[in-house]
Amino acid sequence: MLNLDLGVVSKKARDLLADDIAMRCRVRLARNLSDERFPDWATERDRERVYGKVRDALHAEAPDFRVEPVAAFEEQDRDVLCEAHLISKDLLERAAGGGVAYAPDGSTCVMINEEDHLRIQGFSAGLDMQAAWQAADALDTRLERHLNYAWTPKLGYLTACPSNVGTGLRASAMLHLLGLRLIGEIEPVVRGLERMRLLVRGIGGEGSEAAGQIYQISNMDALGVDEQTIVQRVTRISGEVVRQEYNARARLIQESPLVLLDCLARSLSVLQNARLLATSEALEFLSAMRLGASLKLFTRLKVLDVDQLILLMQPGHLQKGMGTSLTSDERDERRSEFLRRKMANVRLKT
Amino acid sequence: MKCEMCHKAEAETAIRNVVAGEAQELFVCQTCARKAGRHDASSEPQMSAPHGGTDGMPAGPLMGMILDAAFEIVGRAISLSEPACPVCGILRDEYRKRSRLGCPACYTAFAKELDTAVFELHRAAQHVGKTPVTARAAWQRQQLENALSDAVQKQRYEEAIALRDQLKKLETPDGKHGGGA
Repeated sequence: MLNLDLGVVSKKARDLLADDIAMRCRVRLARNLSDERFPDWATERDRERVYGKVRDALHAEAPDFRVEPVAAFEEQDRDVLCEAHLISKDLLERAAGGGVAYAPDGSTCVMINEEDHLRIQGFSAGLDMQAAWQAADALDTRLERHLNYAWTPKLGYLTACPSNVGTGLRASAMLHLLGLRLIGEIEPVVRGLERMRLLVRGIGGEGSEAAGQIYQISNMDALGVDEQTIVQRVTRISGEVVRQEYNARARLIQESPLVLLDCLARSLSVLQNARLLATSEALEFLSAMRLGASLKLFTRLKVLDVDQLILLMQPGHLQKGMGTSLTSDERDERRSEFLRRKMANVRLKT
Repeated sequence: MKCEMCHKAEAETAIRNVVAGEAQELFVCQTCARKAGRHDASSEPQMSAPHGGTDGMPAGPLMGMILDAAFEIVGRAISLSEPACPVCGILRDEYRKRSRLGCPACYTAFAKELDTAVFELHRAAQHVGKTPVTARAAWQRQQLENALSDAVQKQRYEEAIALRDQLKKLETPDGKHGGGA
C-alpha cells in the first residue's frame, strides 16, 4: 500500500510537485540583420561577417558573456551544450559563422547564424516564464542599440521562416507527463493542446519524439499577439497541463497503485542490473525513476538527482565525464555501469 | 514542391486565388486544382450558363473543366525558375522548396504569396508586439527616401521639398548600427 495521498497533501507540497512536473521553460526571440541574407542562403563570408557584428554587439552590451564560434569547441563540448539545451543540433550542423554566446549563470544564451542570425534565449526553472522572457527581452533591447534588425510595422521582426515572423517569440515549457501516459490520457491532452494552437514536441525539438514522456509545449502564433500575451497564455495553459498531470498521478495512486509500482520497480531493477543501456532506453527508465522520486516513493533519490542523471548519461556528458571518446557500444556499457553505481543504494518504498 | 492546398501531393499547376480582392498564385496538385474549380463554379452562379450548360452538360462540371484549362494555361505562363527577389536573387521555386526565405527583402518580393501564407500560419496579418527603436527609425527613413525619389522622378517638386525637410528632421544615423550594408 502506498503511503502517499495526493488528495490531502498541503498546498506547499502540491506546489513542489508542480515544480517537479514543469521541468524548465524557455523564451526564444528570433532576430535578423536588415541587410544580410538569412543564414541558409548566406555565403561563408556573409555568415562570418554577421558573426562579427553580433560578437561586437555582445562584447559591448554583455561583456561577461562567453562568445565563441561553434568550430572552436571540441566535439564533446558541442554535444554537452546541445544536451544541456543551450544550443540546437541545427546549429551544430551549420558551417562557418555558427556561434554561441552564453551568460556565466546559463540564464541567457544566443545562437548566432542558426536558422536566423540571432536566436536569443532566456531560461528559467519550473514555469517561471516571465523570468525567461525578461532575460531574453533585456538582452534583445541592449543588442538592438548596435544591430539594425530587419523589422517592419506590418510584419514585425522578419525571420527566415514565415512561421516565426511577428514577435519572433517562442515560449516553451518542458513538462514531464508520465502520469498521463500511464493512465492512458496523454493523447487527448496533446490533441487538446494542438486544438488551442499550441505546438507539442519531444525534448529534441522539432520533429522529435517525446522520449521519456518529456514534452515541450509552445505557442504556434507569433504574429498578431504581443509578447506578454504569448508568455502569459503558454504559462497558463502549461499550468493547466501540470494540474492534469497532478490529477493523473493522484488517480494512479488511488486507482492503479500496482501499475505505478510495477513501472517503478521494473525501471529500478533494469537500472540496477543492466549491462548495456542505450541513451533512449535509459531515458525511459530514468523517466519512471523521476516520477517515483517526485512521489517520494524511493529512498535516497530526489528529482534533482534524476534530472542530473538524465543529463550526465547522455553521450557528450558521458564521454566528457570519462575524459575520452567512446564508440556507441562502449558508451552503452559505460552508461549502464554509471547508472548501476548511482542506483545501487536506491530502494522502492512499498 | 508540395501542393500548397493539401500539402501532400506534388504541385503540378498554378491557380489564381482571390483573397481580399487581390489575385494570388497557388501551386497545387491536379486534384486540388479541380476542387478549386468546382468550388469557384458553385460559389459564382452568375458565371454559369443560365440553363445548365450549352452542350447539355451540367453547369458545375463544365465550369470546372473551363477553370482547369485556365489554370493549366496560367501554370504554363509562370516560370517556376523566374528570379524573384531583386536583393538576394533566390528563385521562386527555391524558396518554396526549402520553406526558408533568402533575405528580409524577400518579404516584399514575394508579398502576395507570403501574405496568404503568413495569415494561414498565424491567423493574423498585423504585428502588435515589440518595436525596436533603431529599426523603426531606419524603416521610416527608408519610406521617406523612397517617396522622395518617386516625387523627384515624377517632377512633383513641392512634395519633394517637403519630403526632404522631413528627412532632415529625422535623426541622422550615428554610424554605429552594425546591421547596415
